[in-house]
Amino acid sequence: MDLAGIADYLVAFAIMGGIYGVFTLGLNVHWGFTGLFNIGIAGFFALGAYTSALLTTSPPDPALFEDFKFGGNWASIGFLDWGLDVWFVLGLASAALCCGVIALVIGYITLRLRDDYLAISTLGIAETVRFFFLNEKWLANGSKGLYRIPKFLGDWIAPENYGYLYVVVVFAVLAIIYLALQRAVNSPWGRVLRAIREDEVTAQASGKDVFRFKLQAFILGAMIMGIGGALYAHHVRFLSPLTFDPMLATFIIWAMLMVGGSANNKGAVLGALVVWGIWVATQSLPGILSDPSFRLFMVGVLIVAVILLRPGGILGEERRVTRLADSDAARPNNPGG
Amino acid sequence: MDTSPILAVREVVKDFGGVRAVDHCSFDVMPGSITGLIGPNGAGKTTMFNLVSGAISPTSGRILFQDRRIDGMGMHQTFGLGLMRTFQIPREMKRMTVLENLMLVPAPQLGERLWASWFMPWMVSRQERRVEAKALEVLELVSLSHLANEYAGNLSGGQKKLLELGRTLMADPKLVLLDEPGAGVNRTLLRDLSANILRASAERDITFVIIEHDMRFVMAMCDPVIVMANGAVIAQGPPDQVQQNPEVLEAYLRGPGSSTWQRAGTDAEDPALDGRRT
Repeated sequence: MDLAGIADYLVAFAIMGGIYGVFTLGLNVHWGFTGLFNIGIAGFFALGAYTSALLTTSPPDPALFEDFKFGGNWASIGFLDWGLDVWFVLGLASAALCCGVIALVIGYITLRLRDDYLAISTLGIAETVRFFFLNEKWLANGSKGLYRIPKFLGDWIAPENYGYLYVVVVFAVLAIIYLALQRAVNSPWGRVLRAIREDEVTAQASGKDVFRFKLQAFILGAMIMGIGGALYAHHVRFLSPLTFDPMLATFIIWAMLMVGGSANNKGAVLGALVVWGIWVATQSLPGILSDPSFRLFMVGVLIVAVILLRPGGILGEERRVTRLADSDAARPNNPGG
Repeated sequence: MDTSPILAVREVVKDFGGVRAVDHCSFDVMPGSITGLIGPNGAGKTTMFNLVSGAISPTSGRILFQDRRIDGMGMHQTFGLGLMRTFQIPREMKRMTVLENLMLVPAPQLGERLWASWFMPWMVSRQERRVEAKALEVLELVSLSHLANEYAGNLSGGQKKLLELGRTLMADPKLVLLDEPGAGVNRTLLRDLSANILRASAERDITFVIIEHDMRFVMAMCDPVIVMANGAVIAQGPPDQVQQNPEVLEAYLRGPGSSTWQRAGTDAEDPALDGRRT
């Protein structure tokens, strides 16, 4: 392979790794910090992806196969034509909003109950979303899927080099989410979430409205997952309900968080890159080694190894997370952190 | 004195399935007092704490805190009114440091709002420094300063009890319910603990209700003492009077707690509790 080929390969890897990083950060808000057991990431993934795609993709026209400019189903709204692809930003924002609203509804119903109810209802929602887009053909073309989802700033750069632009976009979004989350979990807000994770009853006896905080965390995490879904849609530019199988849209994200380090945002992003790296690298192994089920098995082995050797993940939770008040008297020494 | 009670429990009943854990209980707690709540195991003392703090709702009856009905409220709501509790089995946040366990408590904190932590970090930071200073002060009081940055889950049983007490000192409660604060705490620490309770009672005007099986502790610290057995209040009054009450003696002799009671009668003077109230 020539140098340019390798670079293209790495860029394609980094884009997906970065998108998975977004999902893992979202899951970290749910599980890592708050202890909410969400096993239906695929639901928010699909919802975010479809929301952004439906808002930005022009109606199908069999005569056209070329790359589309952002138009949107409501392209006739003239004041949005600012010469930039505002639709991309609107798509991301709507994806987050849509996931946030759905999370509000699910959370409002289930978060008062025991943890297992949330687990089963997130799983149910993930399947419901998938079957919804599969069956409502008028909306998203059913199993044939949505295609020609537009690129962001597709006019600015030659199609063969587009990956170099999109990787920057993905990592810029990832960085913004990372910084926002760091600030949130370092604050008293994050401290309440971790208290809820550790012992809901004590958090309540300390005067915290546990339900409200759980709801906030659930919505925030779901919104981040929605943004991840939207980024994915504009990267792959084709969506069908089959994209969102639990394996690559839920399980692997859990693996990433566990490997990288639950309750550590750096660890979450690192875990996404490591696990995705292993997943991609094993693709080109010879014979049975590149069989998807064998690669899946290898991810399982990796999880077991990490749990045995470094139970907290590669980068575990830091001992003291809220550090807005760091004074010398209270500065902890974080071994390995 | 004819002041009105800070806490009034009226005809409270709590059923768990077919079991009546609390049976038409009524009692008053006067402001400024250190009230003892004793009784044999299974008498319904902790259930009563759960009812008052709002962890569970009564089947029937009324609970009034400062003349305001609180039965049916959640624990975070009763906390907001100035009512705090500790747990019989300490429930610390295991994977959070001792310092963070305490910094959690004060309310309301600006930084608990997401938008404030994003858009006004300097104000959140300023408040955090105050909260931290207070937490360090409380750690000094309960002699856990050296463990400030240790995970709370790594503390010993007795240290966790002290942390529970520390939690109540972080806020400015009016009424504190302590569920067996002395269990598993060694003599020296117990002395500190009693001193802390007495100081908080005297200086900060906090009313205490204490469940405790250690009778020496109860007799030295508490006045009045309320005795529960089989879910009902069977006696209340000054400790020496309660101690003589034949009904109380019988409840204890029949129950598994009899040995502790008799020990209390024999060696009432304990040097560890010299800080007794006058």
